[in-house]
Amino acid sequence: MNTTWKSKLTSSLFVLPYLILFTVFLLIPIVYGAWMSLHNWDLLNPVHEFVGLKNYAKIFDPKSYVHNLFFEGLKNTLKFVVFSVPLLVVVGLGLALLINSLPGRLKGLFRTVYFIPYSVSVSVVAIIWLWLLDTNSGLINNYLTGLNLPAIPWLTDMPWAWVSIVIATLWWTIGFNMVIFINALNDVSEELYEAGSLDGANRWQRLIYITLPSIKPTMLFVLITSTIASFNIYGQPYLMTRGGPGTETKVLLMNIVDEAFKQRQLGNAAAMSLLMALLMIIISVAQLRISNRKE
Amino acid sequence: MNKKKWLGVAMTAALAIGSLAGCSSDKEATSSKGGKDKITYWAPFSGADGPRMKNIVANYNKSQDKYEVDLQIVPQTDYYKTVDLAFSGQKSAPDLMIMHTDQLTNYAEKNLLKDMTDTIEKNGVKAEDYSDTAWQAGSIGGKQYSIPLDIHPLVLYYNKDMFKAAGLDPEKAPTNREEFVAAAKKLTDESKKQYGFVVPTLWPNQFIYPTVFFQNGGELMKDGKPNYNSPEGVEALTFLSELVTKEKVSPANVQQDGEVTLFLQGKNAMQLNGPWMMEQWDKAGINYGVAPVPQLGTKQQAVYANGHNFVIPASVKDSKKLEGISDFLKYAADNTMEWAKSGQAPASKAIYEQNDEFKKMVQQPQVAKQFEYAKFAPRVANWGQLSEPLWAEVNLALLGKKDPQKALDDANKKAEQLVQK
Repeated sequence: MNTTWKSKLTSSLFVLPYLILFTVFLLIPIVYGAWMSLHNWDLLNPVHEFVGLKNYAKIFDPKSYVHNLFFEGLKNTLKFVVFSVPLLVVVGLGLALLINSLPGRLKGLFRTVYFIPYSVSVSVVAIIWLWLLDTNSGLINNYLTGLNLPAIPWLTDMPWAWVSIVIATLWWTIGFNMVIFINALNDVSEELYEAGSLDGANRWQRLIYITLPSIKPTMLFVLITSTIASFNIYGQPYLMTRGGPGTETKVLLMNIVDEAFKQRQLGNAAAMSLLMALLMIIISVAQLRISNRKE
Repeated sequence: MNKKKWLGVAMTAALAIGSLAGCSSDKEATSSKGGKDKITYWAPFSGADGPRMKNIVANYNKSQDKYEVDLQIVPQTDYYKTVDLAFSGQKSAPDLMIMHTDQLTNYAEKNLLKDMTDTIEKNGVKAEDYSDTAWQAGSIGGKQYSIPLDIHPLVLYYNKDMFKAAGLDPEKAPTNREEFVAAAKKLTDESKKQYGFVVPTLWPNQFIYPTVFFQNGGELMKDGKPNYNSPEGVEALTFLSELVTKEKVSPANVQQDGEVTLFLQGKNAMQLNGPWMMEQWDKAGINYGVAPVPQLGTKQQAVYANGHNFVIPASVKDSKKLEGISDFLKYAADNTMEWAKSGQAPASKAIYEQNDEFKKMVQQPQVAKQFEYAKFAPRVANWGQLSEPLWAEVNLALLGKKDPQKALDDANKKAEQLVQK
């Protein structure tokens, strides 16, 4: 029919700008990356020899240096994911609840205050925290020694280096999760709370039995986006610890970037990043499945 | 659609096309301005040194009317990525570019750089006009791949006010290990959280550790193999880590740039860093002195350095362009006084040996004093990769988490694996 044909065309036209950008900046690079990963691709060598899945095989060959790069980096990235994701979700929700219980005008103020760090770049975040956490001249250790407490080697000892990176990450990105939670909380029907109060549910019970189940889809969204974001950790350790002490905080993306642009081995680097992407997809799907099963 | 709308669309389109056309005709105009030959020149000078190089190029362009040098500054962090893309043919390559000394071997071995021997001879650029150390860095396998601009070795910065307060002569910097440790001890007052020499554990150990290593008479690579755990290497690392544990002239757990922060606060009396730090000290208004790095090693005077060099991509064959390039390089050699103002010491003898204005500068002559015994990174193509485990292990040793011998053994093992890969 003429009208459906027309409306299909119009709606397609609305999608077109996004589709073009998606193709140019995401689809083509991904396919190109996959193509690279099948070659011995030295950036400075004009000949790119086709090697099939050899680059992937190398990642699983314990004798190859690529194996060490990938799995040592992955171990550190996973550590960060495990440390940061629960906090990103819980603290985000906590802040949202806190702000929601504030009177109207203050609500807007604090929402903005907590959201501001999200808008600065990672280098600014790193510099601020490098100054605050400096072992020998930082503000925080200055307070600690003032209280006759021992100074803490925030960025040069374990587990403090992870603690610092997680704190900086929380401070930087928590505003985003918080805003999403605030919106979800506003959508929870007032009647449910009223009914709950009438039945004698206290604050805690209302949170557990009304709020949490109502915002479950948002919770899942925040959980998955936080996991993906944490997997992509790069700037904070790169700028704050340089992967130290030793290589304890050298995360997978740092190793991939080194392999791509310092060693110029784009084939290896592409194989590593695709494997990393695959892992992220598996984990996200698992998260979805597990939380849906409970329902 | 009505007529008005169509008219609007047509006008917008016409305007867009018109402005595009305007752009392209502008470009053509500059490239053929007065029949000049255009030379594209890439450099990573995105800091305080950028304006200096811009001045040199602008003055050159004014001084003659045959060639037009077009300087394009690519930020340091993206520089070699951009250069690699140019060499791999995905971007049009420049005619002339700056390359760091530690990168030369890698690009020369892959035949990406032009052997400049002929160009040099034709145009009277002579080896004798440059520091021998700098010139030799560009001669690989009997061919000359580069013409040096500067050498930037490690230097010693010290806080003159702190020297005075500790009863030391602020005009006399320590020159050897004994003097250095003695001064550092005098300058340390732990009750005031003030230290003689704060030992960095990350950057710039890429300069500091090799310096002491070389001063012990050691070599980082021997017969193509990593030699990190040689006695000279272990001694150097032991010395540096004992500055923290035994001599106690440095706090423990120094983080990235921790020594710089303390130096800026007047709580770190001496520090080893590159000449590029000058601008930061000047801005902070510190009363500082500069001196050659003391001989901290046991055998000889030496210092680790890097350098800026001019190179030509192998793909540049146009003889007119090559003439223009050598003409510019000759001009640059005689007129790099401007370059010295950024804190660097040019490798051209006309400046560092003969120029009176240069000799009166504070930092630059101290840098040039070290030219004779400066040493560069080992000549292996993948030094960046081979040295990566070394910096991680040096970090662990200086943080007191590993014994120096064990750390260097581990670094060597990892690097050997990379050589065999």
